[in-house]
This record gives sequence, structure tokens and C-alpha cells, in this order.
Amino acid sequence: MHATVSSNVPTTARAEEAARNARDTRNDRLFAGLLKACALLVLIALIGAATSTLWLGRDAFATFGWGFLTSSAWDPTNNQYGALVPVMGTVLTALIALVFAVPVSFGIALFLTEIAPNWLRGPVSSAIELLAGIPSIIYGMWGLFIFAPFVATTIKPWLMNHFSADPPDGQVSWLVQHVPFIAKFFSSEYPFFGAGIFTAGLVLAVMIIPFISSVMREVFQTVPTRLKESAYALGSSTWEVVWDIVVPYTRTAVIGGIFLGLGRALGETMAVAFVIGNTFKFTPSILETGSTIASTIANQFGEAEGLQKSALMAIAFLLFVVTFIVLLIARLMLRRLATKEGS
Amino acid sequence: MSASLYTTRRIKNVLAMILSVAATGIGLLFLAWILWETLSQGIAGLKPALFTKITAYREEGGLANAMVGSLILNVIGILIATPIGVMAGTWLAEYSRRSRLGPTIRFLNDILLSAPSIVLGLFVYTIIVLPSQWLTNGDVTFSGIAGGIALALIALPVIVRTTDEMLRLVPGTLREAALSLGVPQWKLTVQILIRAARSGIVTGVLLALARISGETAPLLLTAFGNNFMTFNPLDKMPSLPQVIYDYTKDPSPDINTLAWAGAFVLTMFVLALSLVARFVFSRSKVSHD
Amino acid sequence: MTNMNEVASKPGFGTSPHESGVDLGQVPAKMTVRDLNFHYGEFHALKSIAMDVPEKKVTAIIGPSGCGKSTLLRIFNRIYAIYPSLRASGEIVLDGENILDPKYSLNRLRSKVGMVFQKPVPFPMTIFENVAYGIRHHEKLNRTDMEGRVEQALRGAALWDEVKDKLKQSALGLSGGQQQRLCIARGIALKPEVLLLDEPTSALDPIATSRIEQLVEELKSQFTIVIVTHNMQQAARCSDMTAFMYMGELIEFDRTEKIFTKPNKKQTEDYITGRFG
Repeated sequence: MHATVSSNVPTTARAEEAARNARDTRNDRLFAGLLKACALLVLIALIGAATSTLWLGRDAFATFGWGFLTSSAWDPTNNQYGALVPVMGTVLTALIALVFAVPVSFGIALFLTEIAPNWLRGPVSSAIELLAGIPSIIYGMWGLFIFAPFVATTIKPWLMNHFSADPPDGQVSWLVQHVPFIAKFFSSEYPFFGAGIFTAGLVLAVMIIPFISSVMREVFQTVPTRLKESAYALGSSTWEVVWDIVVPYTRTAVIGGIFLGLGRALGETMAVAFVIGNTFKFTPSILETGSTIASTIANQFGEAEGLQKSALMAIAFLLFVVTFIVLLIARLMLRRLATKEGS
Repeated sequence: MSASLYTTRRIKNVLAMILSVAATGIGLLFLAWILWETLSQGIAGLKPALFTKITAYREEGGLANAMVGSLILNVIGILIATPIGVMAGTWLAEYSRRSRLGPTIRFLNDILLSAPSIVLGLFVYTIIVLPSQWLTNGDVTFSGIAGGIALALIALPVIVRTTDEMLRLVPGTLREAALSLGVPQWKLTVQILIRAARSGIVTGVLLALARISGETAPLLLTAFGNNFMTFNPLDKMPSLPQVIYDYTKDPSPDINTLAWAGAFVLTMFVLALSLVARFVFSRSKVSHD
Repeated sequence: MTNMNEVASKPGFGTSPHESGVDLGQVPAKMTVRDLNFHYGEFHALKSIAMDVPEKKVTAIIGPSGCGKSTLLRIFNRIYAIYPSLRASGEIVLDGENILDPKYSLNRLRSKVGMVFQKPVPFPMTIFENVAYGIRHHEKLNRTDMEGRVEQALRGAALWDEVKDKLKQSALGLSGGQQQRLCIARGIALKPEVLLLDEPTSALDPIATSRIEQLVEELKSQFTIVIVTHNMQQAARCSDMTAFMYMGELIEFDRTEKIFTKPNKKQTEDYITGRFG
């Protein structure tokens, strides 16, 4: 329109400004590039963990083929390796952990969101979170020195009295007499030995309780108050509100939280390594000793050579893939909640 | 509506309440149990030699080299993870708005956060330990550097996530105010946004430190351990969790006692760190307004 | 837009002040807005806005919430550009150049057009640094000059006497009203030509508000000021020109006195008399 005023800006100032602009643009671009490179490291770490274990495990995969997945042999003396026993141990311990951790976590989340008086919620939830802060090696020690003996003297005899064909008290229970196969899952070669799959599962349960309960507590808190209030207004009890309103409303995220705990349990090393027994006999019994992928790696990696090292890398790859999928499902389910919250 | 229906409903409710309280009780019981054992067994094993003597003396020795090693490993880990993590988190919060890569990386970071640490340890073994062995003809194999990098990999997602979250809490008006002064985005980010989110980011770093201080598995595969005192990051390096691991497996009860003492020191350190992190965070909330 | 033409045909408005030469036409236009349209994704937020912002006067933009008044203000320094999927078309001519032209550098625009936001947003640094921060980006000054500039800006924002003894303290410790004046100081420290105020007193108490209004009165001898406000009394008290916007359109733009005594449009009158909004 009236292109007049601009002429009285000195040209040197203009040039300086243009230079500054160019500099700012260049610096901004460099800076953004640097940040992006750092962010990409997250991606690289995940891809790297998968490819490096696959690469170093290639000998094992090549030697044993698909049989690696189905073979129950883990025999360093004869150089025969199969993933079945550690994989089963990993899955079994994690499932046992869930069986105990999920109801307890649900109870804790329920207590912290609906039952506890306000003054108690802060301290109790901090205490539960403290449980998550304890290093896993401490769980392992406590498991080995304190908890496994406790299992051996109290929990295991009780279980065997009720479910095994060879009970310490000598009286085969009604259940074992009438339900086929049940005794197979509760037999034990060394009844006075505390370590085993079941014990490892229990220690894992204690470890993942804080993770699952804190997710549950958080998602329970996202239920709109008006929804709960309208149910209370109809005369519902606390339990009915929780079971009929809160749980259906948060189901996806609750399952996500459980999967998150599962992912943790699958990958845990130190809490398990001391209490699982580290044996490689294939057995359906949860009272027997066994091994998990992580405990096998921790125990054998130091001395492993050649094919054994490769086999360890190969089971590490399997572990990584399985936990990745479990965690992927967990995060997807939790993400849906996040979007629900946002809308 | 019959009275019996009300009764059943009430009984159900009371039962649920009782079970819920019991569940909380179980959680707290285990916490108390584990802490009590660590405390009582650990304090019984405390002695001055713990902090002055090295593990080479076995029963007569202490854990001095392990503590120093842990310190060095943690420092290396945090020094690597903090700048990278803060920058990556900043990218997620400030720069990824227009790209699809942003949400993907944020999502994958959450997965990395709970990925099995032992596999991350194997990754570092593959990319650091093996190449250094090959490059130095076996002079350098397992090392403090490798251990530090493994810990950095574990600390990284914690720092990325807190940085991302904290920056996203910074009000948008602060960005607008700075940009309306003509300040370029990189300056705005470094000098204003990161400063505004500072205490939150520090909290994240402290939490990451607490997390890696207790890590054992990846260190077995990268730093390995050493019975002597070393300050050289190219040496095999001992750490408190790794020594606790070895001493727990040991058949000698005296060595087990040392493991408990180490466990006590480690637990106190980690719990104190998370307390400090909480404190920093609560203060950050105050200054946010 | 028929109503726009009507308004534009009024003396002193629409056509270039140089040509019309009546009333406010004595004052040259600092910024000329022509056919400005703005979209948030699919939403057409501003519709063919045209107005002349007079130099060294206070122009108030009023209207019910959601009418687009803040949006308009945020186009004057292109701060909207930091968000994706927002686009503006048309022209805003500042000193003869279209600031919406992508070639118009943001550095230049933002050193010429300063902005103060609804909520006070002090940077997390000392009071001194808050003011010096912006200057440092545009000019290299030695310490004494910088101290002089900061003092000048703080005096200009009527804050100097209150903070001169605590320049090294964090700006977060100031009261809301003081923080807002600090933001004004930060804005004027760059010696802009135009100062945009986006509801600058909506988060403040009445006493702090009246201090800011007083300040606006003082500042207009040096700056062209555009203030968005939801408070009609405030517009009446401290502006020379008032624009009334409704649903993304500029309904009426005239001398403040005129708008508040005998507006031309029914909608304006309804809003002024509180019949809606």
C-alpha cells in the first residue's frame, strides 16, 4: 500500500537482521536435529537389543532349528540346548505371580480409592510404592534366606498335604483321589527344599504388586465422580459401585496394568535367580525346581563359551520378543485409557 | 425387595471391604518383612571394615571397592543418560508435534522402561565388550565403561519420560511470551522451558539413579566384577549389587553376613534417593504456579 | 461484506487516513488490515477483517468470548504460527510491508510488535534477567548500557521503584500485578512500535488493574497499543478507538466515544448495553 516508511531503516541494520535470522534458523535446525538424534537412540536401543541377541544366537538357532523351541534338553556337557525348560519356567513363574498379585493389587487399589479415609491414603500408597523401590537383588536375598525356608516349613507341606500324591502327613487327600492329574502339578522330589517354581512365583508376585496396584489405583481415579455418585444415589454399596461401575469403566486399562506387571515378571532376573533352583529337568510340577530364561543367563553367562553362549543369546532373544509383545499390549491398552481421559 | 436381598448385598459388601483391607495388609506386611530382615540382618553385619577394606580379603574384608565401583558406574551411567535423555525428552515434548515419529518413540520409550534389563545388558555386551576385546587383543574386555553404558541404557527411558512429561506441564503461554520477544526456539527451549521444568527433570534423574543403583543383572554381563579397588573405567569393575549377588550365593555364613550388610547399605541408599526425589518433586510443584 | 462497506464509508475509517483526513484521520495508520481471514483447521475463525490501527493511540477490541478478538491480536505478531493447522490469509501492512508475507522475518516482526498475555508469564529467572533476556537476543550491549535499558524499561512499566532493590531475586516472587508490569517492561524493553495486550488485567485484582490502565495511558505517547479486553468499562476508560467483533466478524470500528454513546449497529448497541454477551 504505502511502501514509504521502510526506506528510513538503515541498510546495515537490515543486513545484520537478515544475518541474525539466517543464524537463528540454522541453529534451530541444528538443535532440532541433535534432539531428534537423541530420541532415535530409544529406537536404536530396542532394535539393537533384538538384533544383537538374534545375531549372537544365530549359531544355536542354526544348529537346533525349530527343535530349539521344543527341546527340553539343556546340557552343557553334551552341548545340547533347547529352550523349553527355561521358557516354561519363565511363563509359569510369571503366571503364578499374576495369580497372587492381581487380586492383592486389586484389593489395594480398591482400599486406596474407595475405602481408606483420606488421611491414610497418602501414607499407604507411599508405602506400597516403596516396595517398588527396593532393588530386586534384595528380593532375591530375602527370598533365598528368609522366604524359601518359610515356604519349605509351612506353605509347601500344606500344599503337598492337600494336592500331592505323596503328602508329608501320609493322608492322600480326597481331592487327589478324585481329580485326575492334579497330583502331577504338586509333586516334589525334595519336599523339604524351599526353592522352586512356586516360590519364585510368589517372590515375583510381591515384586509386581506395587506396579499393578499403582496402575489400577490411577485408572480407578479416572472414573468420573458423577458416575459413581449416581450409582451411590441409587443405593448401591461400595462394592457394587466398584464391581458394576468402576471395573467395567476401566477394564481395558486394568488389563493393561496386569500385562505391565506380567512384562516385569517375565524379565526379572535377580529376584528369581536364587529361589528357582536352576535345574533343567522338564516337569509339570510347580513345587519342583526349575529355571527361567533370565536366571539361566545370569547363572551361566560368565562361564559359557561357544554354542552355550549362543544358546543363552538365543533364549535372551526369545525373552525380549515375548516381553516386547506383552509390554506392547499393555501400553496399547493403557494408551486407550489416556485418550479416553483426554476427550 | 426382600430383607434377605439387602442382607446378602450387605454381607457381600462387608466381605469385599474386609478382603480389600486384608490385601493392603498383605502388601504392607511383605514390605515390613523385607525391610525388617534387611535392617536387622544388615545392621548385625555392619563394621568399619565394610567401608575401608576390599572384597579380596573375603571374610576379613569389606565392600569398599564395590561401593567405589558402584559410584563410578552410576556416575558414568547418569552422565551419559542425562544429556541424551533430557534432549530426547525435549524433542518429544517440544519438537515432535508435527511428526508421526514422536508418538511412536514416546510409546517405544515406555516399553524400553520395563524391558528386561538382562537383555539390555547382553546388548551392551555385544556392542561394547566384544568389540573392545577384539580391538585391544583382549586387554580390555568387561569394563567400567561397558557397565556404565548398560546402566545408562536403563536410566535413559526414565529420564526421557520425566523430561517429556515435565516439559508438557510447562504452560504454553511461557513459550508464546518468549517467542513474541523474537527469541529463537532453541534458546527458548534451553534457557526458559528446561529451566522452568528443572526440578521435575532433576526428580527424573534422581529416580533414574535410584533405579540403576540397584541393578545387578546387566552388570554381571558388562562390568563383571573385581576383587580389588579400581578407578580405571577400562578395568573390570565391582559393584555393590554384583558383590551382594556373589556373596549371597556363597556357602560361607560370614560372607552371607557381609552380603546382608551390603544389602542394608544399598537399600538405604536407594530409599534415601527416592525420598530426596520426592522432596525435590514436591517443591517443584510449589514453584510451578 | 455489506456491513464492512458501510463502516468503511464513514469518515476517518476504512480508506487511508491520508486521503480521508477527518478526525482520527489526522493520525496516520500504523497497521492496516485488509481482507484478513483465519482458519483453525475447518473452522473459519475470522472473516474478512479490515481495519486501520492508528499510530500512538490505544485501540481496544471488544466482543463476547469466542468472537475472535484474541485470535485477531495473535495474528498481529504471527504468534499463531507456532501451532499446526492454523492459517491466515489477507494482509496486515505494518509500515508499508505485509507482515503475513512468509518472507517478513519473525525476528523483525517481533522486535517491532511486542505482546503481553492474559496471565502474567514471568520467565523462571531474576527480575533483571527477565527484562534483559529479550534485549540480548536483538542487541549486543555492554553491562552499563544493559543496566540502563533495563532500568528504563522498568521505569516505563512503573515498576522500577518497587523492584530496584531486588533485581537479582526471582521474578516468580512478585505479586500478580507486579509480574504483569514486568511482562510489559519486558515487552517495551525491545523498543517495539506496536504493543499488543491480550486481556492484560483479567487475572488481576482491581488495584493492580487500575495501575495497568494508568500505565497504558502513559505508554501511548510512545507506542501504538492494541488491547483486547472483555471488560467494556476498561475499553471505554483507556482506549481511543474501539472495535466490536462478533462471530469472527468486525461489526463496527470507530472512536471509542462514538461506540459507547451512539453506535451505528444494533448488535454493537445490544452488546454495549449488556443485552447479550
